[in-house]
Amino acid sequence: MSVQLKGTLLLVRFALRRDRVLLPAWVGVLGAMVAASAVGTTGLYADARERVAAAEAINASPAIVALYGPILDTASVGELAMAKMTVLYAVFVAFMGVVIVRRHTRVEEESGRAELVGATAVGADAPVAAALAEAALAAVAVGVLAAVGNVAGGLPVAGAVLFGASWTGIALVGAAVGLLAAQVSSSARTVGFVASGVIGGLYLVRAVGDTTAWWLGWASPFGWGTRLSAWSEPRPWVLVLHPLLAAALTFVAVALRRRRDLGSGLLPDRPGPAHGSPRLRDAVALAWHNQSTALLGWTVGIAGMGVLMGSIVPDIGSMLDSADARAVIEAMGGLGGLQDALVFALASIIAVVITCFGIAAITRAAGDEYAGRTETVLATATTRDRVLLAVGGLAIVGSTWLLLVSGAATAVGRGDGLDPVWASLAQAPAVWLVLGLGLVLLTIRSRWAVAGWALLAAFVTVGQVGETLRLPDWLIGLSPYHHVPKYPSEAFVWTPGLVMTGLAGAALLVAWLRFRSRDIG
Amino acid sequence: MTGAAPSLEVVANPIEISGLVKTFGRSRALDGLDLTVAPGEVHGFLGPNGAGKSTTLRVLLGLLRVDSGSATVFGLDPWRDATEIHGRLAYVPGDVSLWPNLSGGETIDLLLRMRGVRPADTRREELLERFGLDPTKKGRAYSKGNRQKVALVAAFAAPVELLVLDEPTSGLDPLMEQVFNECLAEHRGTGTTVLLSSHILSEVERLADRVTIIREGRTVETGSLTDLRHLRRNRVRAEVSGVVPDLAAVPGVHEVVTEGRVISCSVDPVGLPALLSALDGAGVLSLTSTPPTLEELFLDAYRSTP
Repeated sequence: MSVQLKGTLLLVRFALRRDRVLLPAWVGVLGAMVAASAVGTTGLYADARERVAAAEAINASPAIVALYGPILDTASVGELAMAKMTVLYAVFVAFMGVVIVRRHTRVEEESGRAELVGATAVGADAPVAAALAEAALAAVAVGVLAAVGNVAGGLPVAGAVLFGASWTGIALVGAAVGLLAAQVSSSARTVGFVASGVIGGLYLVRAVGDTTAWWLGWASPFGWGTRLSAWSEPRPWVLVLHPLLAAALTFVAVALRRRRDLGSGLLPDRPGPAHGSPRLRDAVALAWHNQSTALLGWTVGIAGMGVLMGSIVPDIGSMLDSADARAVIEAMGGLGGLQDALVFALASIIAVVITCFGIAAITRAAGDEYAGRTETVLATATTRDRVLLAVGGLAIVGSTWLLLVSGAATAVGRGDGLDPVWASLAQAPAVWLVLGLGLVLLTIRSRWAVAGWALLAAFVTVGQVGETLRLPDWLIGLSPYHHVPKYPSEAFVWTPGLVMTGLAGAALLVAWLRFRSRDIG
Repeated sequence: MTGAAPSLEVVANPIEISGLVKTFGRSRALDGLDLTVAPGEVHGFLGPNGAGKSTTLRVLLGLLRVDSGSATVFGLDPWRDATEIHGRLAYVPGDVSLWPNLSGGETIDLLLRMRGVRPADTRREELLERFGLDPTKKGRAYSKGNRQKVALVAAFAAPVELLVLDEPTSGLDPLMEQVFNECLAEHRGTGTTVLLSSHILSEVERLADRVTIIREGRTVETGSLTDLRHLRRNRVRAEVSGVVPDLAAVPGVHEVVTEGRVISCSVDPVGLPALLSALDGAGVLSLTSTPPTLEELFLDAYRSTP
């Protein structure tokens, strides 16, 4: 092993130790989603005719194609079962790579820990190599688990292996994108935004390619999953593209890394204002100030997602030309029922995504406390109530705002009334309850705040997979999202929302009482 | 008792701690600590790493809840009346962590505003100049010393009744340490009380009126430097013309070493008259007496307590 890579193995072991919860959770949830999708699809349709009808319905809607990509072989069970996984969930796979690499490169540099490690007898390239190695391990793990999930769900082995390999590939691409982004700025947050922007951009290129110019889809790694055609007449050579792209990006990133100083970025650090704005005057203003860029990004992203998803809704109805599709739809409660069910389904998906904003705000507050910044704030004439109000207000008001944006955008995309707005707002009590529990975790002990992610993942997994796996009702019922009224496909009822709002209020009360009486730090 | 006259508060000690106990799980961070800081004094708070200095300061700021004993700041309960107390003090933490995306200037103004002070009415510009700090850099770009300067400028910019400083010079170079000393002297001149935690003895020796030394969460020594020195041995070195006297027999004299006609020893305050008359009898040619340095006091205090 070259001198520049000395110590890589040690750093990999160290990184795996640090990520012993994050990594299995991320890989595990994705694997569970694949298995649930495979099991669900094979069980959902009685015969091949129904499946073909469903696949044709997907292809008939430009909006669905934009979101999931087309289904090339409408007769293929595997392709239908993995419709969401091939493109949309591949984004989460790519993000796994981004998160791992960013966490072990730029975040370490910003905190100064990279300096500590760099001063020991490890090679200059070892930290980067270790981050990539861990990401590669995770990529292989998620690919293997996806293949196993498919086989367990009753899909053909050959297709399952190809599909799994495509997930491994997209995770590698994500890791390389993360590494390249990490060279751009000295701020880990900016690096996160850049990487998210690149992933979002590639996804968009694919969406345009799939809907209007097929060749353009080849320009985005998110288009390769569909074009691999894993389940019938596959083109295995497509799988070479992922590692090639990842290697090229890594090559550029490493070259850039070698040219720059530790801790610096390609973008120069812009100076900030010499004086603080008079509006930046207390803990609440500080919390909103620090999250303003993120909130703006979220608002734009959620609005775009809402418009896109909203525009799917009328398309669902327009595919009624086929008699088979009509039969499927009748079975699901007729055209109106189907559209309404879709509005509810979209609102519940976006609500989970929006909850992430709130959980991120809470874990960020925990980071402030861990670093000693909360102590600095509390050493001024700032009450604990105000500090808690800052984080709680940001999480709850911010996510409620995003729910409103999402509902409004979906309504605009659909262009038929305000139902999506109400459907989105109906999710609010569930979101509040999850965030209330997140705040309780934060106030019990700041280190516990990260468990908010696990809580959210558990609720979502139980909700998404629970019915497929026939889990007991009480277990599924633990998820607040499960109790949101299925408006507009069912009549709106107030009781669950009021009960959950009450429980969220109780959680806030517990958090408030606890935060008044615990040690800081 | 709502009508307490302000004059009474001036008389009260800004900080009173007695029998303070704080445990974290099974470890006892503070174990019956006592500390009294009188109005207007610079009080050195000394102890090695892990002795409980920062824990004590964090109790005084109401960040930690105590298990037993009592602590008051301005006669108020730091836990219950934290906000009121904090309006009258400024704090510089030992390990300053800034918001990565806020500039130094924004951070200073924010901290001042949160203390209820308008930045425009303060000495921030002058202090930025004296500390040579660029306020437009982002928090993440500052070195440890510069992060410390941000906190120091915010603390020194406006008048306060009490400064709580946790190893405030640990990241500063000697020139900046000098600026720090000047700023501290200016505040002291206006009657500010200072609690200065440190493990750098020379710094405390230079700045502090009184010193409290702690170890493993307990107060080992407290008093003015003169008081403490009084309790301790002086180093004496003398050259005599006559027969070297047998000093080992003199009560209060220790560690006698004789090299030819040069004698060196250490002596308790009680043994000093007997030592001097013995040396006088031997025809003393030269005599130096050195008071113990704080280092020696410190090591002494550590050695003598279990």
